[in-house]
Amino acid sequence: MTRILLRNKLDDCIAAWQKAGFSVLAPVKRHEMSSFGEVQKSGDMALDLILTERTIKDQFFPQTEPLIKYKIGKQQIDSETMTPPEKKRVFFGVRPCDASGLAIDDPLFGWDYKDDYWFRRRDNSVIVTIACAQADDFCMCTSVKLSPDSAKGADVLLRPLLEGSGWQIEVFTERGKALLEIVSSLLLEGNGHTFPLPQVPEKFDLEKVMAWLGDKENFESQFWKDIALRCVGCGSCTFLCPTCHCFDIQDEGDTYQGIRRKNWDSCSFALFTMHTSGHNPRNTQSTRWRQRIMHKFNYYRGKFGVNSCSGCGRCTRQCPVDMGITETLQAITNLPR
Amino acid sequence: MGIQEQYRSEAAALLSSGEVKLVIGFGAGSTADRRRPLFARTPEEAEKFVLDAACIANLSTYLVAEGLLSDGKKVGVFLKPDGIRSVNILISEAQLKPEQVVILGYAIENGKDVVPLEGCNISDFSIGEKIRSHTPPTHVIEAAEKIEAMSAEERFEFWKEEFAKCIKCYACRQVCPMCYCRRCIVDVNQPQWVSTSSHTLGNFEWNLVRAFHLAGRCAACGACDRACPVNIPLRLVNYRMGKEVRSAFDYVAGENSDQKPVLASFKQDDPETFIL
Repeated sequence: MTRILLRNKLDDCIAAWQKAGFSVLAPVKRHEMSSFGEVQKSGDMALDLILTERTIKDQFFPQTEPLIKYKIGKQQIDSETMTPPEKKRVFFGVRPCDASGLAIDDPLFGWDYKDDYWFRRRDNSVIVTIACAQADDFCMCTSVKLSPDSAKGADVLLRPLLEGSGWQIEVFTERGKALLEIVSSLLLEGNGHTFPLPQVPEKFDLEKVMAWLGDKENFESQFWKDIALRCVGCGSCTFLCPTCHCFDIQDEGDTYQGIRRKNWDSCSFALFTMHTSGHNPRNTQSTRWRQRIMHKFNYYRGKFGVNSCSGCGRCTRQCPVDMGITETLQAITNLPR
Repeated sequence: MGIQEQYRSEAAALLSSGEVKLVIGFGAGSTADRRRPLFARTPEEAEKFVLDAACIANLSTYLVAEGLLSDGKKVGVFLKPDGIRSVNILISEAQLKPEQVVILGYAIENGKDVVPLEGCNISDFSIGEKIRSHTPPTHVIEAAEKIEAMSAEERFEFWKEEFAKCIKCYACRQVCPMCYCRRCIVDVNQPQWVSTSSHTLGNFEWNLVRAFHLAGRCAACGACDRACPVNIPLRLVNYRMGKEVRSAFDYVAGENSDQKPVLASFKQDDPETFIL
């Protein structure tokens, strides 16, 4: 027997979670932009969106994050480490691709150094994924071996009921179990008919792509120059990506005091690899685009055993010149072998 | 013959005669309603060009791509009036040589009909009058008027909320034909002149720097607005700056390629109301 969360109990759940010390975050649409934001009631949630424009990553790895406050005196330097807020959070209505993105990035942030800023937030957060009921032309989770009901990165997975009255619950972690414990009196026992999963066609052959990328001969292929010709070199694909994680450390302030910050950075930018000497090893957009694809589907996998893409499709969906991972990997799939 | 077929064969002819090394136009996109920039180097590739009412991007931005025109060879490009206007501005700012660009001009009328614009060199297109009398879409004017009617505090709040969305992806800059600096001021990092942080102050810095730098230079193509992944109504900023420049100097950017850049030139009868 599984349990069911009814839509009309959602407000009570939010209240119960808040009472237990959680902030509740969900997809919201504010100022013509959709993202994850704090909500007070179910009416604030935009659960019908296929996907928010901004990713959930922002809530774990913000675009700018203060690390240290410092003051340089005559004889000494005072510094104060700044830490992210400790409050417990529930993320309600995360899409499987976004939740997977978090799981994909975990090994990166915990590799040679445990990034406290990421893990404090991860440890304080419970991810409640809702399986997709719809997909658009850009969704490509199935192409990267995930699915519209993938539980990767999820503590709880909800499947929408056919009649729209609520969700069927699956729990995967202790954290998820504890979250549901808080609202157990609000849940129903039972089985409902769940909404059929949307058909997300496979758009490229991942195995073929990985083999081609792994072949060193192809690093200097003309393919990269041709495919990247129209790339204008903005960072929108990287900043809207649920797994892109590159950052820069900047000191902001004057000679005597300031704040050290961790700011998003993007391999699409020429400045990303610019050396102090002025030499730039990735001096054309094609080398930068190659880096992005290689990093996601070759290097990252080599290091962490997983591709750095969860198939959300935002890169293509939002690209000003209609290019992204899908069509690049499609083109690689179709290259003559 | 429809305009698409006509322009395909014109592009193919330009390529096969060797007059141009490359034609920049539109091809089919990843969905039925999308078009993407397409670069044709052979007459066969020119057969893939698509030209219809969905071809709204301003392709002139590629003309200032690093290295594209440095070999002195000509390039053909599909341009709407806003693209032609951009080319005028780029020529007047000495970023392009008029003889290097062959224009395949077209206009989209009533949002659906694509009609050819006669000519191929920039001097063939007299768009000055059209630009002067052009009125932006009603929704742009309405939105701009709404903001202008606000008090200074309300206006500040409005832009604060809009700029709070900015993630500094610089898509607005990268799609803009007028943002051709090889190193943008925000990328000058020895020392870092403008903060890279995407917080309220940093986002204001970036968006204001861009607004100032585009004053009297914007071709009003709306590329920044469309490119913005977080939907900041950027064209309203540039629309307002254009209005300011027009009222102060009776100057409309891109009327022709002989125009002197308004903020880089001086006329004895320029108003000097800013001098107390």
